Amino acid sequence: MSAPAGLRAELLRRKPVRSTGGQHAAGEHGEHLPRSIGTFQLTMFGVGATVGTGIFFVLSSAVPEAGPAVIVAFVVAGIAAGLAAICYAEMASAVPVSGSTYSYAYATLGEIVAMGVAACLLLEYGVSTAAVAVGWSGYLNEALRNLTGVELPQAILAAPWDAEPGVVNLPAVVLVGLCMLLLIRGASESARVNAIMVVIKLSVLAMFIVVAFTAFDANNFADFAPFGVGGVSVAAGTIFFSFIGLDAVSTAGDEVKDPQKTMPRALLAALFIVITFYVLVAAAAVGTQPWQEFEGQSEAGLAQILEKVTGTPIWATILAVGAVISIFSVTLVTLYGQTRILFAMGRDGMLPRMFARVSPRTQTPVQNTVIVAVIVAILAAIVPLDYLIDVVSIGTLTAFIVVSLGVIILRRREPDLPRGFKVPGYPVTPVLSILACAYILASLHWYTWLVFAGWIAVFLVFYMLYGRKHSVLGQERGEEPVVDGERT
Amino acid sequence: MTVVVGYIPHRGGRGALDLALQLAHARGEAMAVVTVVPRQWTTPSLAKIDAEYGEYARQVGEQAEAQARDYLRDTSVEVATTYRSVTGRSVSSALVDAVHELEASTLVIGSSADGAEGRIVTGSTADKLLHSAPVPLAIAPRGYRSVAAAGFSRLTCAFSDSPSSARVVAHAVALAKQLGTALRVASFGVRNATMYPPEVGLTAEDSVLDSWSGQAAQAQRRLVVEGIIGDDVPCVIATGSGWDESVTSIDWQAGELLAVGSSAAGPLARVFLGSRAGKLIRASPVPVLVLVA
Repeated sequence: MSAPAGLRAELLRRKPVRSTGGQHAAGEHGEHLPRSIGTFQLTMFGVGATVGTGIFFVLSSAVPEAGPAVIVAFVVAGIAAGLAAICYAEMASAVPVSGSTYSYAYATLGEIVAMGVAACLLLEYGVSTAAVAVGWSGYLNEALRNLTGVELPQAILAAPWDAEPGVVNLPAVVLVGLCMLLLIRGASESARVNAIMVVIKLSVLAMFIVVAFTAFDANNFADFAPFGVGGVSVAAGTIFFSFIGLDAVSTAGDEVKDPQKTMPRALLAALFIVITFYVLVAAAAVGTQPWQEFEGQSEAGLAQILEKVTGTPIWATILAVGAVISIFSVTLVTLYGQTRILFAMGRDGMLPRMFARVSPRTQTPVQNTVIVAVIVAILAAIVPLDYLIDVVSIGTLTAFIVVSLGVIILRRREPDLPRGFKVPGYPVTPVLSILACAYILASLHWYTWLVFAGWIAVFLVFYMLYGRKHSVLGQERGEEPVVDGERT
Repeated sequence: MTVVVGYIPHRGGRGALDLALQLAHARGEAMAVVTVVPRQWTTPSLAKIDAEYGEYARQVGEQAEAQARDYLRDTSVEVATTYRSVTGRSVSSALVDAVHELEASTLVIGSSADGAEGRIVTGSTADKLLHSAPVPLAIAPRGYRSVAAAGFSRLTCAFSDSPSSARVVAHAVALAKQLGTALRVASFGVRNATMYPPEVGLTAEDSVLDSWSGQAAQAQRRLVVEGIIGDDVPCVIATGSGWDESVTSIDWQAGELLAVGSSAAGPLARVFLGSRAGKLIRASPVPVLVLVA
């Protein structure tokens, strides 16, 4: 039986890079054109994955926390996300597979860390899909009302514990259901559609900025930071949600041309575009109304501001329609990400094999997709947006800290490992990244921490009871008896 | 039993004739060349205004028969062949009627003339038959030519991991015996397109395909374990980033026939092609025989 030393080895066993999923299949099909992605396309990945997760609906939560200083909170959150993304890029390039943080952590930091990261990723992807779907429902209602005059009843528009309580957020559930069907059918968003979505998102945000600035009133900034520095960091925690996805730049891994130059350029370009848009949107929004009025504005906050400013619903409608289209794509992509992370875990034996089962009919992981969609739909139906956003932020920040730590650990443990991209300014950058993320983390509400700690605990207990014994890696090494003979 | 071939002169008819002859010879069956001609109005009219049209229809039928006879004259194999022209509300329904009347074992048609040479192109008639033929339907690629005396070099049966597909393999085993040819079981997988932006990396779908391949190999082994195929039957797994790439990733011989099962979702004892099988046959470099699931 496992001695304590044996247990330690078991928990920290690392997946050899060779066998990390898909390399074989990739080599076979020429799909894998080596090093074909340039700075522009990589920037598009970053902007496409980032804009749309939060900016359309985060203001009504964040402004009441910081006042007009929310602008500073955007910069703080952006810098933390940028630092983490740079570390992420080194981690990704040190492990020559393309995948999520889970795969990188498994290959470099050991099984139990990978499991913890996976718990965080479930928040970053699964819960954020729910949050985004809730935001979508607000804009759908706005677009419907302005275009057709039909107003959906509150009972089917909001969660039971929302500020304005409803019964169930039905549009969010329908959205998740539609995305589920698309994923089951094997639909995907092409690079071109991604670029189109980026254009739609940035155009409607640019329109918002221009229109809202016409009603700019500097007096609204008079009481700039009513809650001081503390308020800014609380808001940064909430806002961090809207920077999720920046790490998409790093996941392109070994397909990037000249990564040492391209990666940081694309990251900085994406970060610059995203922060600029966010800060301008925040400044324009705060300029239109006293910060106290943001509280209680519904999820379709930006559209409501436009309507208030111009007195006609035209601009609000355009913005709402743009948001409805682009947030749909964000939901699809995030839900997809979640299913594929669980798929990788199922293949590794960390989760029941059902998650890695591909339907022979559709050739997509149907059971996995249905399970994820049902859980996400339940969250979206009954949990209010504010709570979802904070939980997503805490999960993502923790995952980012692990990645930054991982960069330091890997540099010390395997200094000679070939890395396509190295963090500039090591060791300052990863340390700064950890500090920035920790600073934001420290300001999150105690109940968010409670939920998070409970979640991680459940996950690790599950690992100790299930994943540890079923781990494919463990079975390959003969550390544990083969439990179910079904190995492909 | 009879192999019925739907024959239209000039438009891809020869490919269908070749395939039908090959099938009929290999199975020792008779062949019936059926041409669908325009139907006349049956309304009686004093002036017989439709007579000219009727004459035209008759000529179409006669010409078709003459051409088919002419073409079949210099074949080396002996197959009892009959010719007839039929009418119906549509080409597909007329062919289905002929199948019933002649108690056909198989219906053979050619590809539409609008596609690439060597490819199976399904026109409107083929599409209808693919969802309604009461017997197995064989489709020849455009420009298909074969030597009937040589028979079929191999029968490949497309297999996906499902009970109805296992039944199709069982049919194919019997068919291969009847045709006196070797059997091969092939599973076709297609890599899904990469999702952009790549939040979980660009190779996520490679690992999905990888899992699928593992499952398909297991399912193929189960065919052997369950005694549906012998353990000497070669099983292959074809993968690619599209149907074309997947199909061409395995070798194909000249004179090979691909057997595909129709969807279990359709009516019983009918050919009803599923969407995936439809894509598969459009990528096939060899003639396809759609079996009833």
